[in-house]
Amino acid sequence: MAENGELYDAILVGNAKKAEEITTAALEAKADPNELVQKQMIPAMDEVGRRFECNEYFVPELLISARAMKTALELITPHLAASGTQPTGRVVIGTVQGDLHDIGKNLVASMLEGGGFEVIDLGVDVPPETFVEAAQEKSNSIVALSALLTTTMTMMKTVIDALQEAGLREKTRVIIGGAPITQAFADEIGADGYSDNASAAVGLARKLVGA
Amino acid sequence: MAIENLKIIGESINDSVPSTHKLFEATDIDGLLELARFQSERGAAYIDVNVGPRSPQFMADLVRKIQSVACKPLSIDTPDPAIARAGLEAYDPEKAGGAKPVLNSVTSLRTGMFDLLEVRRFRPILLASEHEVDGRSRPCRTPEETVAAARHLVHTFRDQYGGANDDCIIDPGIFPLGSDSEGNIHRLFGAMEQMHADPDFDGCHYSVGLSNFTVMLPSKRPDGTPVKGALESAFLTKAMPLGLDMVIGSVKRKYELLPPDHPAMQCLNDVLQLTGFDVLTRVREFYA
Repeated sequence: MAENGELYDAILVGNAKKAEEITTAALEAKADPNELVQKQMIPAMDEVGRRFECNEYFVPELLISARAMKTALELITPHLAASGTQPTGRVVIGTVQGDLHDIGKNLVASMLEGGGFEVIDLGVDVPPETFVEAAQEKSNSIVALSALLTTTMTMMKTVIDALQEAGLREKTRVIIGGAPITQAFADEIGADGYSDNASAAVGLARKLVGA
Repeated sequence: MAIENLKIIGESINDSVPSTHKLFEATDIDGLLELARFQSERGAAYIDVNVGPRSPQFMADLVRKIQSVACKPLSIDTPDPAIARAGLEAYDPEKAGGAKPVLNSVTSLRTGMFDLLEVRRFRPILLASEHEVDGRSRPCRTPEETVAAARHLVHTFRDQYGGANDDCIIDPGIFPLGSDSEGNIHRLFGAMEQMHADPDFDGCHYSVGLSNFTVMLPSKRPDGTPVKGALESAFLTKAMPLGLDMVIGSVKRKYELLPPDHPAMQCLNDVLQLTGFDVLTRVREFYA
């Protein structure tokens, strides 16, 4: 592991305290913040995602690593902003109206942040108009919709229709996920993508932004 | 499977279970009836019936067909009043030894579901993990909010609809332990302790969707011993003395009451002393 860097290792094992110490020291030593992100943090979270998909890691490991990543990212973000570095892309995410479940949504948000995306988390029970407002405010975003209930998944189509009505559909890509969601459902409602797990959602988002 | 005084609401006939979803999509009614028969034979006290977004007529037909092959009472599981009504109308108590059906579930924002008591008397599952804030449903974050939500539902059922505590099944809401960095396990046990000690809730029954507790965790530890069944049993061992007497769960699972030195019991006891990400780290230690 050591050849990938200390920060990579700290994130991979989910040691947030170590990640914080290493990042602080690196920034004090004038390390390139973008290089830390691109060469250690994103590859570490990619490896976490790979292990998750291979059933070597489970949700606790994923969350613990995502927290370590986030700890480092909070220290680095001001430096990235100062240097004008742009995120991989921007994602507006939320659980659709009528649905209070947030575990899957939070997992996807964490993994997207770990993948270098700027994530705007609208929370749970989000009305269609809130998604529209956020997409309007953050142009060229991906809108990521989550639903756990068969009774609320239909709200995803309502959000897509609302984006269409607001004239935002062409420049907004919509991805969906959640326990009852399938590729067939995504196709049926005209979503741009579907993922059945948090790790694969990062690959899907990268594909959609051409990263 | 059998723990004395614990009733299982068999969870298999649910559109959100991937293998069952395939049966629904293929309209494989024989497959669904086989699930009903199997759960009935394996000791389920109730059989849950969740048809997802299908029509009220579909629910009614399925209820009649299930009752033609299984003699256990049913739990009509839907938030949709029209589907619930169809299920309750189709339900025949005589085919279940005179037992009332369960309606899963009623929340603070859906107390209108109690109006269906006009169709047929039922035992409501009262979902106390969410409450109404400014006209919208919000998750309960504390034991006190959970108890207040339960109290509101019990009082509404009792005072406005002539219900009795003995028909109330309070579900305080159980969340996946593997992602519980926000203290839901503390909220749940705190609420159960308060309700257990409160005479206002005397006679009420308590239930959780037990499989939800271990979702997203591996099934086995490296030495081959089970993870999910053991943690679920640890939960039961801790929660049954606080009044838990029903679960929506699997009849295949070997639920048991565990001794204090069982690794899963030690894990749960430790978790109840921890907060934040330390909970996840302790759970990982248990299965890794």
